[in-house]
Amino acid sequence: MDRTQNPIVNILLRFGFLVVFAGFFILFAAWNPVFLQGGNLLNIVEGASVLMILALGMTLIVATGGIDLSVGIALDFGAAFAVVAMKSYGLDWFGAACAGLIGGSLVGIFNAILVVGLRISPFLATLSTFFIGSSVQRIFTNGGGPISHRRMPEEFRNLALGDIFGVPTEAVIAFVLVVIYFLILERSIWGRRIHAMGMQRSASIVAGIRVNRILILCFVGASVTCAVAGLIAAANIRMFTPLSGFSYLLDAIAAVFIGAALHPRGRPNVPGTVAGVLFLGMVANGLNLMGLNFNTKDALQGIILLSALALAVAQQRARNR
Amino acid sequence: MQADPTRKRGVTDLVGSLPLIIFACVLIYISFNAPNFLTLRNLELILMQSLPVVLVCAGLGAVVMAGGDDVVSGGIDLSIPATAVLSAGITAVMLSQGWPLAICAGVALLACLSVGLLNAALVTRIGMTPLLTTLAMFVAVVGVNNVITSSRRIDVDHPWIVALRAQEIAGVPLGIIAVALVVAAIYFALHRTRWGLNLQAAGGSRDAAEISGLPVSRLFGQSFVLASGTGYICGFFVLARGSGSSPGVQDNLMLEMVLATFLGAAFSTRRVVTMWGAVLGAVLVAAISIGFKSIGVNVFWTGLIKGSLIVIVVALSALAQRGR
Repeated sequence: MDRTQNPIVNILLRFGFLVVFAGFFILFAAWNPVFLQGGNLLNIVEGASVLMILALGMTLIVATGGIDLSVGIALDFGAAFAVVAMKSYGLDWFGAACAGLIGGSLVGIFNAILVVGLRISPFLATLSTFFIGSSVQRIFTNGGGPISHRRMPEEFRNLALGDIFGVPTEAVIAFVLVVIYFLILERSIWGRRIHAMGMQRSASIVAGIRVNRILILCFVGASVTCAVAGLIAAANIRMFTPLSGFSYLLDAIAAVFIGAALHPRGRPNVPGTVAGVLFLGMVANGLNLMGLNFNTKDALQGIILLSALALAVAQQRARNR
Repeated sequence: MQADPTRKRGVTDLVGSLPLIIFACVLIYISFNAPNFLTLRNLELILMQSLPVVLVCAGLGAVVMAGGDDVVSGGIDLSIPATAVLSAGITAVMLSQGWPLAICAGVALLACLSVGLLNAALVTRIGMTPLLTTLAMFVAVVGVNNVITSSRRIDVDHPWIVALRAQEIAGVPLGIIAVALVVAAIYFALHRTRWGLNLQAAGGSRDAAEISGLPVSRLFGQSFVLASGTGYICGFFVLARGSGSSPGVQDNLMLEMVLATFLGAAFSTRRVVTMWGAVLGAVLVAAISIGFKSIGVNVFWTGLIKGSLIVIVVALSALAQRGR
């Protein structure tokens, strides 16, 4: 299969994803001038914060060579523990946030037990965590009713609604996490070990990397990260809505794999994930501004997601040829 | 380990058959508490209930056989449940607009096969991983189906669809006979024809199959088309079971399909996904769901029970694998 004969096809394949990104940007901007206004661009970043944080956790797990279908559960647990800590135990915002993070870490610990202890493949292990976690939420809330907490401390609400020097707090939190993840995953010895493990599990064992310890840390780290997203989600609507994390799962997976496809060697990486999340956020925002019917918007979003993934992968193949 | 080899073998076999034993115990427990559980009428009910899942499991089984059973990099098709609701949605909408069933079924077939072909093209031509492709396809197809049906429930009372649920031939429901025929046909195609054996060889060891000259990617692609075919047929059973098309069916179908297929792997001697394992898994999952309902277990607990079942079965089969 020689594709080098046609230079236009070649260029499209090489820079396809960027072209599509720019194309959509121009389309949305032309359709509705509101899209380009500073306030709306900030909206996109703010709206994508929760997804960004989840996608970071997912990046970490995919980099180890697995996949995490239970990121949504960790988000739900983070939100639930924080809201219950404030409502039933009267903790202040800091105590509640800690409770939320501990709640989220339970999900990671459970995953780690299944994957490292029982040697179940990450896909099936996190799928069962998903089943069990969803069911626990249903039992706890008597069928899935939300737990609302109207008199939430102001400081906790500010996690989602406040701003730091004019930038929404949730965007600041997401940005800080992006930097931390970038430093750990792309610039530290730990990150090298994680990537080595994800690429060649047996070779990294031979090389003396403590694979199991890293896996446990990664699962717990990812779930705590997702719990941060849960805190923001709970602060945003002043309640815990059971099973709400599931809706982010597919977007998080898609963002990570779009990002991986942009990488020269096809590895999941933090800058790529950020690009993937911003692309998905931009498409959701732009389609909203087009004023489409809810079903049509949903279908278009699905089709765009599929095409973007296909394009990103095709582009990666073309580059490696 | 200085253990006596024969004894070790026995322990491994015991661990290996534990999933079946656990299932048997659960079913016996249920039948003690719900006296009607082991009646012929109830078994028929369980089979009827499991028909859509059996069909999609047969499709998924074929894809896993052709692509290898590594969940992340091997063969998997999560879009089959979406294909099923697409088939149901198109048929329901067109029937309600007064088209004859044959034309509705024809249009639905074209739509479903194009989903399968698209899956095949994305996986074998572009080189996307099946897990990612079919998960994204699931979302896209469900989205398209929601546009077609406007996310509304659409009642269907076409006599042929109703017949799938209510008609009996010699005392056996028509639906059961039809699904049994379809599954038998797929089994025959996969296990008794040259094409099927080539397909299994491709999944068993990709490299070896390629070296011996098999068209591996084409076989893999064909398995996706076969899977979309089972999704298409499943659509009619979804219509029959729910007396119409309703939004949201796909989620439960997906969860039960994955659960049943990989549960089924624990029943095979080599711990691989097989056609019979998948079908048996689907029936057992339905039996357990109905069984727990009939002894009055809270519905909220079913997810917990299903999740724990996956953990137990998969962990045990990993243990048995290690013992070998």
